[in-house]
Amino acid sequence: MVSHRERNVQRIAALDEQAEALGLKPGLGVADARAMHPQIEIVEADPEANRRLLESLADWCDRYTPLVAIDGSDGLFLDITGCVHLFGGEEKMMQDILSRLSRQGFDARAGLASSAGAAWAAARFPGLARILPGQEADALSPLPLSALRIDAETRIRLESVGLHTIGDILHAPRAPLARRFGAGLLVRLDQALGQAEEAISPRLPVPPLSAERQLVEPVVHAEDIENLVHGLAGTLQQDLERRGEGADVVQLSLFRVDGAVQRHVVRATLPLREPNLIRRLFRERFSASRDEIDAGYGFELVRLSVLKASPFTVVQTDLAGDGMVAEESLALFADRVRARLGEHVLMRPVPVESHIPERAVRMLPFAAGGKAALPEAAVPAGGTSGVPERPIRLFLHPEPIEVAAAEVPDGPPLNFRWRRAIYNVSRAQGPERIAPEWWHDDQEDAPTRDYFRVEDTEGRRFWLYRQGLYGAVEEMPRWFMHGIFP
Amino acid sequence: MARSAMAQETICALRREISRIEGSLPERLASPQAGDSVVLRRGISAVREGCSAFLGTGVPKLDCALAGGVPRAALTEIHSLQTRDAGAATGFTLGLLALLRRADGRSRKQFLICWIGLADVFREAGFPYAPGLEKLFGFAAGGLLFVSTAHIADALWVAEEAARQKDFGAVVLEVRGNPARLDLTATRRLHRRAQELGRPVFLIREAAVAEPTAAPLRFTVSAEPAAPRRSLAGLLQDSIGHPAFTVVIGKSRAARPGRFILEWNPHEQSFREIRPAHSGALVPASGNRPHPPAAMGAVVALRPAGKAPAPGGQPPGKERPAHRRPRRAG
Repeated sequence: MVSHRERNVQRIAALDEQAEALGLKPGLGVADARAMHPQIEIVEADPEANRRLLESLADWCDRYTPLVAIDGSDGLFLDITGCVHLFGGEEKMMQDILSRLSRQGFDARAGLASSAGAAWAAARFPGLARILPGQEADALSPLPLSALRIDAETRIRLESVGLHTIGDILHAPRAPLARRFGAGLLVRLDQALGQAEEAISPRLPVPPLSAERQLVEPVVHAEDIENLVHGLAGTLQQDLERRGEGADVVQLSLFRVDGAVQRHVVRATLPLREPNLIRRLFRERFSASRDEIDAGYGFELVRLSVLKASPFTVVQTDLAGDGMVAEESLALFADRVRARLGEHVLMRPVPVESHIPERAVRMLPFAAGGKAALPEAAVPAGGTSGVPERPIRLFLHPEPIEVAAAEVPDGPPLNFRWRRAIYNVSRAQGPERIAPEWWHDDQEDAPTRDYFRVEDTEGRRFWLYRQGLYGAVEEMPRWFMHGIFP
Repeated sequence: MARSAMAQETICALRREISRIEGSLPERLASPQAGDSVVLRRGISAVREGCSAFLGTGVPKLDCALAGGVPRAALTEIHSLQTRDAGAATGFTLGLLALLRRADGRSRKQFLICWIGLADVFREAGFPYAPGLEKLFGFAAGGLLFVSTAHIADALWVAEEAARQKDFGAVVLEVRGNPARLDLTATRRLHRRAQELGRPVFLIREAAVAEPTAAPLRFTVSAEPAAPRRSLAGLLQDSIGHPAFTVVIGKSRAARPGRFILEWNPHEQSFREIRPAHSGALVPASGNRPHPPAAMGAVVALRPAGKAPAPGGQPPGKERPAHRRPRRAG
């Protein structure tokens, strides 16, 4: 038995068959129920967990149709238009869903109709499972008004004037109804009768292309899955060729026997078509030790979908058969590294217009934008001769150093302590003053930095800076280590 | 006499055997300096046409000590003793890469470098900074590709894959300390990849101690005070000139130890050997005093990584002070 708190009273939210047999009902206070049956077991409701369970069920229902939407806290809409023939007819499909769900331990009810509203009513009211097209009005007429998905207030007001079933309002004049009870009532009525369109917004974007394979014997081994990926990619290749496209993002959905769904996504720098390449990317994805696929009792359905496709330009290969262009093989290398280790691992530096050292270079993930694998960097006019000296290694975060003695007011330090070791400065060059970029909001109040290039007595060269000025502000300026020179 | 001839024959047989294992024919070369000693120079299997097997450093003495230069189709180790010497080790490697780029005749953008590092190296020693690389070594930002991984196994995998790519002019793998995974087998795999494609793989090891690896060449690089800048009026006192390094050959096929002080000229993009500005410490250490100043940097956080610090000062369990021993009865 599950309880929930409603207006400061713990009430029963849901109960199982045993509790029902005792005569308890949802909505009864927990204290009353305990007084009647002291031995009952009560669990606090967890709406978050319920939602997660419903989402995982929606994932599972993805096997029937890509258009799955969550309805409220306890329902799922499946738009099975065009998918029915894959499962041998509507009746068989519904039986299949119900039997599989009941094997997983769910008590599910299903309704099938040509409109979402009618299907909603059919699933919730006994005696109806399937409403044939054109018979909505007859089927819905005897049902109470709560089958219309209207709010409780409207329902009570309708009942107070003696309208109890859908049939009552079906034949009533529409204009007065709309005036008294709002247009929402008629919209719901029309939706239930299939006279108004109702769009089901799917949870997941529908892939433009996908191929799947139902398996009689569940697969467990990674090699078998790879072989299946190869076969499915071969099917997709024909579709992609027909459309003149290549896959940018490929998703592999693995439906486990026990209902769990795993999704693996690989991204390609250049559009892909070749099944071997797709297979190789997924092999890297699987062989990454951290991302072990948990096969459990095996996968019974494997689906390969192209989430994003872009135009594919066919390059003529030379007669030597060495058709792999340099850019292409580099892109494949990048794809494999990213498939295995993650998107953020591969970086390329891009110069940015800024004189703050750490902002002058941005590390971007390799080639998000198709062809431009390595774009031409903007070279400053006049070469590098006018560029001030910059270190070859820059610390990701400037490290604070302790400076015991420095030339006041704006000289270099005489010695400093960095990472618990003392360095004596023998020579120094500077300062190079770098003022904050005041035109950016976040840097308006940042202190000025004076950079020094110093060499210690052992010959190491460092790039230090003093943040703030001596005497200018109340607090003492702080020193930081920012980079290393060769 | 007969014995020596027999020994010579045995050595020749052994060399032949080694070259058979390595898949190359031994080639005898007279050393340019000492007439009687013989330097063995092995052919490298997959060097592209028109390129020599060695990359000359531009410093005749160093090239001679290396029997030709840095091998192109091989793994080369570049060590720094401490993480704070990362600048010197990186700078020397980048100098070699710049020479390689010029020798290959590639433009700044065609020469791609794949730089693989563990995340802790980039955190401890700093991330390679593209404006500095461009200014000092002439590498365009577009020709650099960085890979940062959390685990050594991943870094090795990426390095092996990158060493197989024809697109990269060179592969740099940067590791801190002596991880167990980077053993003879792992370095041999990298070396084989480099041999197959004829492109060098540089293994920068920060704060590492020398251990047996498959790399035929190992340098240990440390910092060296730079020479002052030159101007028309003479030397500018207290100025910091071109980058300078002390390069020690730790291991090479020519088996000649050497210690060189090199200077990198960013304008000419070349190495030059220089003499140390001052020999000896700046301030003479005071001797025979009761408390001499401790050598700097001996007890710091930047000890070579990978080795656990010995629990210093703790007497072994058996050696307890006398007053804590169980008192003898009687």
